[in-house]
Amino acid sequence: MRTRVEMVFLGDFEPESFAEFMRHRAGRLSVSAVAGRIDATRVDVAVEGEPDLVDMFEMACSLGPIDCLVREAYRQGQGR
Amino acid sequence: MNLVEGWYAVAIADDIEPGTSAGTRLFDRELVVWRDLAGVSHVWEDRCPHRGMRLSFGFVRGNHIACLYHGWAYDTAGQCRAIPAHPDLAVPETIKVATYHSAEASGLILVHSSLGAEAPPPPAPAPTGRALRSLYVDLAPDVVAERLLRDFTALDDGSYAGTLAGAPVLVFLQPFTATRTGLHLVLAGPGDSVAVSAAAEALRNAFEASSAPALEAAE
Repeated sequence: MRTRVEMVFLGDFEPESFAEFMRHRAGRLSVSAVAGRIDATRVDVAVEGEPDLVDMFEMACSLGPIDCLVREAYRQGQGR
Repeated sequence: MNLVEGWYAVAIADDIEPGTSAGTRLFDRELVVWRDLAGVSHVWEDRCPHRGMRLSFGFVRGNHIACLYHGWAYDTAGQCRAIPAHPDLAVPETIKVATYHSAEASGLILVHSSLGAEAPPPPAPAPTGRALRSLYVDLAPDVVAERLLRDFTALDDGSYAGTLAGAPVLVFLQPFTATRTGLHLVLAGPGDSVAVSAAAEALRNAFEASSAPALEAAE
């Protein structure tokens, strides 16, 4: 079973660093992650894969790379 | 002396008993050396792909090593096979530890320093070799290699042949970090192992003592 969710991360981002972090984690976890908006305060990404692996991706990105600070994470349609 | 890519000793084989693991370094890269319960040794990157915890702190269970942190378990090919928090998950093949080519010869565990898919054959075991002990020298590997060449002969397999306390020995050099070098000693013929071990200790001390004035001068 695969699931597809739209994730939103809010915080303070180095966009290139966070994008590379997402690419690496998505590859490691065998999920697809297609970034929409990535800027200094917000990242939108569509993630598809096994539900447990999608959850792991969300958890990993909630921690993020050392030069980014995620203050809030939620899924579109599931409220903040 | 320029130490190049190749096979290097990283541990004495008998020191890594079945079901145990230990951390070491090669060219400053952190490695885990572990032995499964079938007796086969493995040398991997010492880092769990999950959160980066050292796998050398983990537990060996049968032919798996499990990370201390969250219990992710890896088979002998480095492939993650079980994630305790997600027992029903089919773990993807992308969750895998980087593994090195390794072998055992002359009572030592050897590893090829590259992470490539293939490696040249490991050094042949010394016909009568018996691994004796490991020493660590607080000097750069190329400096230690040059010191060894004053009294020992470099062999094609990367070891250094000579005598200590009148006994034939082979010394295998491990480039640990830029400032620290491992020496793995193999007794290659008849000899008093205690005397050879003491002579090796004296050699190590001589290496470090002879470099001290230069270091002080540099400061």
